[in-house]
Amino acid sequence: MSPMNNPQDLNPSSLKSRFTTRFLRALTKINGQKPISSSSPREMFQRYRRIKVAADKSMAWSVRSRRTWSRAMLWKLRSRYSCRQASSSRRSSVRTSTIIKSRQAKTSHEKENKNTTTGQDEVGFVVQADKLRKLVPGGEAMDLCNLLGETAHYIKCLTTQVQVMRKIAHFYSL
Amino acid sequence: MNNAFPEILQCSDMTVLERQKAPLQRQQEQLQQQEKQQQSYFSELRGVFSNQTSHVQGLQGGLLSGDSLLCDMVMTPQAKPDPGLETARSELGNIDIAGMGFGQCGYVNGPSFDMNYAIYRTSSCPPAVVAAAVATEGVEAKGKESVESEKLGSAIGRESFKKRKADKLHCSKVVAEDDSKRIKACAEERESKITGPNTNKSSSSNNNNKKQTSTETSKENSKFSKVQKPDYIHVRARRGQATDRHSLAERVRREKISERMKYLQDLVPGCNKITGKAGMLDEITSYVQSLQQQVELLSMKLAAVNPKLDFNIDNLFAKQLFASCTTTFPTVGMLSEMANPPYLQFNPVQQVVSCREVEMGMGMGMEINSPDMALQRTINAPLSIPDASFLDSSCLAQFQSSAAWDVELQNLYNVGFDQEGSTTPFPSQPFTGTKS
Repeated sequence: MSPMNNPQDLNPSSLKSRFTTRFLRALTKINGQKPISSSSPREMFQRYRRIKVAADKSMAWSVRSRRTWSRAMLWKLRSRYSCRQASSSRRSSVRTSTIIKSRQAKTSHEKENKNTTTGQDEVGFVVQADKLRKLVPGGEAMDLCNLLGETAHYIKCLTTQVQVMRKIAHFYSL
Repeated sequence: MNNAFPEILQCSDMTVLERQKAPLQRQQEQLQQQEKQQQSYFSELRGVFSNQTSHVQGLQGGLLSGDSLLCDMVMTPQAKPDPGLETARSELGNIDIAGMGFGQCGYVNGPSFDMNYAIYRTSSCPPAVVAAAVATEGVEAKGKESVESEKLGSAIGRESFKKRKADKLHCSKVVAEDDSKRIKACAEERESKITGPNTNKSSSSNNNNKKQTSTETSKENSKFSKVQKPDYIHVRARRGQATDRHSLAERVRREKISERMKYLQDLVPGCNKITGKAGMLDEITSYVQSLQQQVELLSMKLAAVNPKLDFNIDNLFAKQLFASCTTTFPTVGMLSEMANPPYLQFNPVQQVVSCREVEMGMGMGMEINSPDMALQRTINAPLSIPDASFLDSSCLAQFQSSAAWDVELQNLYNVGFDQEGSTTPFPSQPFTGTKS
């Protein structure tokens, strides 16, 4: 790893540095929560899940609400978290499920609206665009034009995420 | 009146040619100059036909309301026979303005033919419908259904565009020009310049009108460039294409999409060879999938990694900033790990601040320091754990040699244990570090 190959990292407000700090913080928390000594597959898997969620969340938080995909991802994570909490408490599960269903209905309704407009103009790309919609968070409710813009930003953020995580993994595997 | 007609046509030809040359010069001029020219054109018109100024005004008024009429006219069958022209000629008196408008806009080839059609159309219409008739005349003169509909659509579009414009003169002038292909060419050129602020498209030559009997003007029109204005997105309707609002908006959308596809092509590696949107989308989808899988793999790897070291940002930055000090990383990490618990007991803020100030005052010339510290400042605020890392990194940032690190960190560690809450030893430590 060359020393100063990432001048962006030195910029405290760059996407990379924001993501790095948040992710490292989350990692510290995760490792602090449970002892690392245990290496059972189940625990490993749980940690993996948590780290993955942390990575996604840190990425979305670094982007804040400037992008539709980050907002959608944050909302999804929050709803999942609340759902999990509700299931553990067993009190508001119905409430959260209704909220989630209503939100899903809303997004599907939006999707229908958007799809009608997109279907008229872009006939040939609907199939491929649908695949992309499923991948990009929040892509279900976007028209093709916005979907492409969001995909571009999402790709940029994903590459940053991969870079940083690879560096961390490499660093700590030494 | 019939005898007067050819004379008018002849003189109109001259003016038409002159006016056809004018747009070429206007290409580079701004919109306001065009408007002035158009206004002068209209004054010219009025001057020639002074007794028909009221008709002009009626025409202007009628043009604006002619949208619905235009739409209605579209439905009417386009092909009309010539015999009606004879009867129409007799009613020239009522339609002088429209006819003159046609003449002014110019017929280079077979003007009488078009003029007759114009007369035929406009003869039975009130001034309010004259505009519509004028527009349909031009449409019919083309002799092509698609082009005609486009023209009507363009006329309709122009009508709607005109509504936004406060200047009625432009509207009337433009519609008056709509009667023939060449007029349409002129109109498109002027039209799109007028409606530049209201529409957004880039121009390019189109083959559509080449099918028609083209003149130099049509070729000249195809070379028009995009109108530049800071506040609007300008659209220039391509030659021969529909200029109604919907098709223009669609064209804008399509161009936006193609622009974003190009950007994505640069972003996604290996997309240069693929042409076509469907293939590109597939490629993009697979790339996003691969990136997401990489994230999952890395998170699994991170979960599997047994971190002997603490996940401190200082370690990461240290590794990035000081490649030469690789040997000290394990020790640093261990020290930081060990130092964390005792540091947690401190009131970290004061020491952080003091250390920061000291480092600032140190003037080590480490420009990396400020962003580093600024970064850590954000970390330090909410959590107490990073404070230790801050202290570590602050010291790390100052010490260049690897040998000094162990010593100084040890000192710091000891000091931290011995003198809880005191700030004085911290400044001394960095100072001693630099001295050594």
